[in-house]
Amino acid sequence: MIGTSQPRAGGLARVTGRQQFIADINLDHTLHVKLVHLDCGHARIVAIDTAAASEVYGVVAILTAADLPQPVPRFGPVHDDRPILAVGETKYHGQPVAAVAAETKEAAEAAAELVRVEYEALPGVYTVAAALDPDAPLVLEPGLRPDDPLRHSNVLRELNYGWGDVEAAKADLVVENSYAFPMVTHFAIEPHAFIAAPDDGGVVIWTATQNPFQTQRIIARVLGLPLARVRVIAPDPGGAFGGKQHPKYEPLVALLALRTGRPVRLLLTLEETFQEVRRTSCEIHVRTGFQADGTISFQDIQSDFLLGAYADVAERVITKANYLACGPYRVPDARITVRALLSHTTPSTAFRGFGTPQVSWAHESQLDDAARRLGLDRVDIRLRNLARKGEAFVPGDTPCDGDWAESVRKAAGAIEWGSPIAAGRGRGLAVAIKASATTGASYSIVRLHWDGSATVLAGTSDMGQGARTVLAQVAAHELGIPIDSIKVVMGDTAAVPFDLQTSASRSTVFMGQAVARACRDINAQLRQMAADLGLVANVSVVELLRARFSEVRGEVIGVGSYRSEHQPGHPLGGSPSFYEFSCTASEVEVDEGTGEILLVRHVTVADVGKALNPQHVEMQDEGAAVMGLGHTLMEHILLDDSGRIRNLGALDYRIPTTKDLPLEMLALVVENADGPGPYGSKGAGEGGLMATAPAVASAVTEATGVVIRDLPLTPERVWRAIQSRDL
Amino acid sequence: MSSTPIRVTVNGAEREVEVAPNTTLLDFLRDRLQLTGTKECCDLGECGACTVLLDGRAVNSCLMLAVEGDAREVTTIEGLSENGRPNALQDAFLAKGAVQCGFCIPGQVMAARYLLSRNPHPTLAEVREGLSGNLCRCGGYVQICEAVLAASEAGT
Amino acid sequence: MQPFAYARPATLADAFALLDEHGPDACLLAGGTDVVVGLRNRTLRPEMVIDLKQVAELQPAISEEGSWLTITATTALAGIDEDQRIHARFPALIEAAATVGSAQIRNRATLTGNICHASPAADTAPALLAYGARVNVASARGTRRVDLDEFFVGPGKTVLQRGELVTAIDLPIAAERRGAAFARITRRRGVDLATISICCVVESAGRTVLAYGAVGPRPFMVADESGLLADPAARDGAKDEVLRQLLTKASPISDVRGSREYREAMLLVMSRRALRASLERLRAA
Ligand code: FES
Ligand code: FES
Repeated sequence: MIGTSQPRAGGLARVTGRQQFIADINLDHTLHVKLVHLDCGHARIVAIDTAAASEVYGVVAILTAADLPQPVPRFGPVHDDRPILAVGETKYHGQPVAAVAAETKEAAEAAAELVRVEYEALPGVYTVAAALDPDAPLVLEPGLRPDDPLRHSNVLRELNYGWGDVEAAKADLVVENSYAFPMVTHFAIEPHAFIAAPDDGGVVIWTATQNPFQTQRIIARVLGLPLARVRVIAPDPGGAFGGKQHPKYEPLVALLALRTGRPVRLLLTLEETFQEVRRTSCEIHVRTGFQADGTISFQDIQSDFLLGAYADVAERVITKANYLACGPYRVPDARITVRALLSHTTPSTAFRGFGTPQVSWAHESQLDDAARRLGLDRVDIRLRNLARKGEAFVPGDTPCDGDWAESVRKAAGAIEWGSPIAAGRGRGLAVAIKASATTGASYSIVRLHWDGSATVLAGTSDMGQGARTVLAQVAAHELGIPIDSIKVVMGDTAAVPFDLQTSASRSTVFMGQAVARACRDINAQLRQMAADLGLVANVSVVELLRARFSEVRGEVIGVGSYRSEHQPGHPLGGSPSFYEFSCTASEVEVDEGTGEILLVRHVTVADVGKALNPQHVEMQDEGAAVMGLGHTLMEHILLDDSGRIRNLGALDYRIPTTKDLPLEMLALVVENADGPGPYGSKGAGEGGLMATAPAVASAVTEATGVVIRDLPLTPERVWRAIQSRDL
Repeated sequence: MSSTPIRVTVNGAEREVEVAPNTTLLDFLRDRLQLTGTKECCDLGECGACTVLLDGRAVNSCLMLAVEGDAREVTTIEGLSENGRPNALQDAFLAKGAVQCGFCIPGQVMAARYLLSRNPHPTLAEVREGLSGNLCRCGGYVQICEAVLAASEAGT
Repeated sequence: MQPFAYARPATLADAFALLDEHGPDACLLAGGTDVVVGLRNRTLRPEMVIDLKQVAELQPAISEEGSWLTITATTALAGIDEDQRIHARFPALIEAAATVGSAQIRNRATLTGNICHASPAADTAPALLAYGARVNVASARGTRRVDLDEFFVGPGKTVLQRGELVTAIDLPIAAERRGAAFARITRRRGVDLATISICCVVESAGRTVLAYGAVGPRPFMVADESGLLADPAARDGAKDEVLRQLLTKASPISDVRGSREYREAMLLVMSRRALRASLERLRAA
């Protein structure tokens, strides 16, 4: 059972079109909501005239900030900074200033178009340089963070990590470079969608969230309701990748449902979804010291991460990613200085890899640069510096928990590192490491029914990673019953016990353990039951249940939990429970005339401890690799001078298609059963994209001799680099 | 403005209905007929999530007005399987692990079905070409293409 | 989408009557792959949408008469690809049509619609231009023929007057051998709008025609009558000189797909490649 490729739970419903996603839910008497936004990045709202809009046949309610409780409630996963609707000004292209609810979606659309907003476009902050300009407008009102000494700047937070003494460190070679990583968007194929309905003195919300319990908490606070009166139902998301982790328009639809006394639904367009979430862009400046043999002597990293108009969870992204900004290496002296900057752009949030692709872009490219200058092999320099198992590569924190060199060797072998290569081609290899979940709690209840089947209650979201399958495998293994007699129930705060969230590749470890423990709780009860009934030890579960529950029926209920408590004073709130380590190797062919890159072969290796379901791991890793190729080769959000997204929508924001795949792709794993999850597993599913950019860029360098430190590696960018090489 | 009467066959059943001209075929299928297996994403013809067969040819239902379906035959994902049982192509998607979040999958299956109807034994390159109008952000392309090749071998 | 009325005329005469009645508030619909997007984005707000797919005279058809091959207005791009005569005679048009959108798009989008939309980046335009296509235009007042090169006016603009529509596109069937190739630059390998597109046709008599998309307000063509480009013995440097001279007609701009500078450079790179491929095909023909 464990370690076998059980078919994806819910797969059948998905191939037959019967899987219900949010937009497929139809409640009777539903009102349709359409948002009103402005065509610029930053604007002062002078007046909103809803008269013409309210004349439209079928319009039931129009909300602007003036119609909301005052002061307008603000919310966010960390800071309560985002208002339900724009108050006084819009702070990013697409921020809603009003919402129309109508009997039909056509009426809602027509009315939304008729809402007249008089506004004055204001200068905005759209770049790192602009955010740091002392004369720049302030994105966040100082009054919203009165005690923060940074409140009169656009710096949300400054971080300083480090150890040793960088100033005193000796090095034979110092490599100093700047790297940029663009804004990119999640582009889940399911656009974001929200439904809310009044319910028994409270409200019920349907949202494809990765985090129903946080949504429940935030809505309860905004509406002044007890948790138990806010029910969040979270059907499996149609892709999430971090974009559906934190509430966005849930408070708005909840309020509209209560105001109108009717169910309401808001289906965002893909364009609106792009305007809602993105990955944090950044500029990283690094000085790295090396010994002549390639040993790293110090890292001195200064970076600026450009957040959007509201903090969302971006501060946490930056805190966690930069904690490991030196990568999985032994670095005697380190200094990491990071500024999280606010801007008048789409709020940046969690996105697969959680900041790791950004930091690895810099630390890996630095290693390649050093290898070239020192005449060392790019794989050797990594092996020389990689932390060894048990080594505290971040002093005082969770030590290296895997044989990371094994992953590197495996990837190098698969890409035939060192073998002769055709002209115009190049290979690259890069690694990355992500700190997994630190604190958190997951609870599970398992109900073993009298016929021997079981229902597993788990607050995890199955957004494509197949958590349903893996949790069912764990229960089947622990209870010794067939997997088809197990039903995993998820995503309903009124039915399943608390789970912190589905993120940080934590579910297999946290929820996996909680489920395993709940099953073991059942097994203990069964043993007791057998003893009480005087039955022999090897009686089957079903016989035992029949014997016990023959007349009045009943069931055995097991409870399990897995918690990792807050550690006061730890920069991350707690030590990572494990590290997600991954290695990517790529072979490319570059068309020097046009700058086009052809991926010949692409390999990922993930250290997963134990692959509970090898096929699911492979799907996740290859999927992550394809996503990584997106931000490496083609994806970037482009803004114009007034902060508008120039490539808004699927036509001009390009993601990989089948034709953009490498000619050959391989997803490999390393399994040493050395993780904290069930059966020695570790989290997986993000690794495949964490080191894509530096691996591919390194291959491009080998093929062409040019070094590129900006992403994506568009044909034009590669061509430009080749032009300057040839000057 | 007034509705237009049409007679359209959807998954084998002929229907006479009135539709507003400004309704896409996609909205008609999803909102009127409750055939929600056909998905909506980009609404621009770029993602393929809304793929259906029109007289046997794959089309983006978001780029078609429902009135254009008059006297035509539409097949949606719901029309592929009988009594919710998957056909061989759908089985191949399951067996090859092609299904992650599943949101793009109905469109992928319909595009694959069309591809195999035109070219029963495609090469990998032809499969990649034939499915290039269907985005999968979960990135399950390798498995999706393997599933199509497997179904082709099985002779679907 | 705003509300609108919908009509499906059965004859050209009925279509003209509707066009005349609704004037600028009418919008013609064939494949719909551009029109429906326009309706959705509200860049089109017609009162009347006239669906041409039932018009008897416009039924999908590809025919040959004398020295012309004629493609009717409702012929989808997939239909072009399925026609063996076009494969044999106009292979670069097949290559160009295959790059328009996905299989789903090509099952609906028509060749005529691709031209009438008059996008500077329309992929079939360079191929049609290079092959010397002409456009059949009709209205209640009569018919006329326009060389495709004169058909495009600017982005989204053609010479079509109010009340007129395109009934078919004609391609001249060449008696002599020729080699042709289509090429383009895109941001990704999968379905994409062209950053630049180009079609090259080399005639055995030595004339070379090059046509371009996405490098000016309208697709355009240029010709080398000197025979130098077609001359296998000519040096690359000399060919480049001729190409550079011809390419002065291009006026690319910067947009989200690429900068002016990149487009300018790619014009030469891709022209060379298309020329080389055309010459090889001419030799093999
Ligand atoms: S929704 Fe129709 S192609 Fe994307
Ligand atoms: S399976 Fe999630 S988008 Fe394809």
